[in-house]
Amino acid sequence: MSRKISKTVNEFNQQLKPISLWADAWKRLRRNRMALISLWIVVFYAIIALAAPILPFFDYRIQNLDHTNLPPSFRPAGQLAIEKLKSQITILKERVDSGMDTLKPDLERAEQELTVAKDELISNPENKKVYIFGTDNLGRDMLAKTIYGARISMLVGFIGTLTAVLVGVILGAISGYVGGWLDNLLMRFVDIMYGLPYMLIVIILMAMFRKEGQSSIVILFVGIALVSWLTIARVVRGQIISLKNSEFVEAARSMGAGPGRIIFRHLLPNALGVIIVFTSLSLPSFIMNESFLSFLGMGVSAPLSSWGSLVSEGANTMELYPWQLLAPAIEMTIFLFCMNFLGDGLRDALDPQSKNRT
Amino acid sequence: MSKYIIRRLLSLIPTMFIIVTLSFFLIRFAPGGPFSSEKKVPEQVLQNLMRKYHMDEPMGKQYLRYLGDVLRGDFGPSFRYRDSTVNELIADSLPNSIVLGTFALFCATLAGIGVGIISSLKQNRWQDYTAMSIAVVGISVPLFVIGPVLQLVFAMKLHWLPLSGWITGRDGLKAMVLPALTLSFPYFAYIARLSRASLLEVLRSDYVRTARAKGLPERVVIVKHVLKGGLLPIVSYLGPAFSGIITGSIVVESVFAIPGVGRIFVQSALNRDYTLIMGEVIVYSLILVAMNFIVDIVYGFLDPRIAYK
Repeated sequence: MSRKISKTVNEFNQQLKPISLWADAWKRLRRNRMALISLWIVVFYAIIALAAPILPFFDYRIQNLDHTNLPPSFRPAGQLAIEKLKSQITILKERVDSGMDTLKPDLERAEQELTVAKDELISNPENKKVYIFGTDNLGRDMLAKTIYGARISMLVGFIGTLTAVLVGVILGAISGYVGGWLDNLLMRFVDIMYGLPYMLIVIILMAMFRKEGQSSIVILFVGIALVSWLTIARVVRGQIISLKNSEFVEAARSMGAGPGRIIFRHLLPNALGVIIVFTSLSLPSFIMNESFLSFLGMGVSAPLSSWGSLVSEGANTMELYPWQLLAPAIEMTIFLFCMNFLGDGLRDALDPQSKNRT
Repeated sequence: MSKYIIRRLLSLIPTMFIIVTLSFFLIRFAPGGPFSSEKKVPEQVLQNLMRKYHMDEPMGKQYLRYLGDVLRGDFGPSFRYRDSTVNELIADSLPNSIVLGTFALFCATLAGIGVGIISSLKQNRWQDYTAMSIAVVGISVPLFVIGPVLQLVFAMKLHWLPLSGWITGRDGLKAMVLPALTLSFPYFAYIARLSRASLLEVLRSDYVRTARAKGLPERVVIVKHVLKGGLLPIVSYLGPAFSGIITGSIVVESVFAIPGVGRIFVQSALNRDYTLIMGEVIVYSLILVAMNFIVDIVYGFLDPRIAYK
């Protein structure tokens, strides 16, 4: 018997294709149409965010004061600007006709601007730009702004989740495997941390330690990562405890495997499903927390922007220029929506008998 | 039972102690201080201010003094609002937040359970799919998006409801609709999902089959058997929900300009108003801890399977 038998055979000596947990889960996920659509949308977001610098978007920092507050449209910006000027002129004319002479200079200036804009419509390449999401009050492209905001938001979500999973998995696994006083100590600590009103602590942290004009992303990471590992640590600990006395662990131990090898090679792969589900569900919550802080003006600071700070900016001008609020808000909502759907789908796929489905 | 309550009450002491200590030192060790503003304060004035607020003492002494004051229920004077004490500021703002939060949570629970019941009884039909899609939207959309969008639609375009503000009296209820709706939406969504899942489990259980088998009318089965067991998880969710409402109210209060604790909290954190931040953190934590405690006790009464040791 030098060659290993790799094919499984049933009682009639027919070959069976072994189905791994992952193939099985993928099969279940594929049947969930909403989750699959969500997966593709998330992939699309990720590609756009990663490749944004090499894709032909406008620079989100370039200001064009002729193109301020243009509405979303597929037509070139020059035409939109001319239409805006024209409607401005009609309003001004009405006012001047009804006796408001102080507005006369404004009217003349607007008319001059209109002639200049008409002259430049063909000659100036700037006027051929198309802003499908509109522009902001400094004439910057909202599409590019929201994409670069998405990069920051997704980065925060990704790094936050990564730290949470790493710290949580390691501490949870050690706590569950070693048990005894160490387990007691760690879980007491986790209990106390759960009791903290943690968003308040993060707000204090952000308000106190960030300096004006300096990017405060590091503190943001620290603040968010501080408490995020708690849940995953508890979950992994529970999984490890339920598995650590099973036969395959004993077998590994009898062959001389040390605790490190048992935890990482034998126990954690069995908890991988839970870890993946947790990851996919905590990514949106990180993004939400970051945006929450940015909305309050305590997250990322200018010149960086995230979805939260864009929404907060847009909310100030929503009465006149609603697209400045709606563009980042809708973009963010779609992403979070898909992440949540994907997380639910992954949970159903990886853990079909899940008791705590909600 | 009473032994359990006493033990739980005692375990609140270290939690509160850790919260107070952690936030005290977090605040004190941060760079800058309550008097460092754009306007340069003369050295002598600064020293007098420091002395007045006992800031010139060593950190340990300040800490012990603060602990003593808090135990007596005195949060000290505010650093920024020179004429008021922290106690007064909190007493002015806390009722607004509590009214808003309780109202929102009440609506969320009622609507959430209702939707949960409908979608669990009509599982996999269009009612179920619609309800659960709305619920996922509710969980995915952040409060600070719902708030401004509702403002845009109902206040600015349709002019049905006031844009923001907080009025007492008959119009007060109208002013409260949008903020309460905003605040309750995610919790409504979560409660709907939660109650659907747990009701579905109960619907498949043996005792419900028995109830049906002995010929009880469906209405009685649902009301007396299913709901009783199926809504228990909602009670245990109310504790964490309350803490979420507290955080959420920070956003809602700043979007809708409501003079509540959340808005003051953000301002005080930015102003480095040491005593006010501390007071708010303590009040918030007390509410949080107390709510979790109450929920646990109530749960024990509702669910006879839980034994308190």
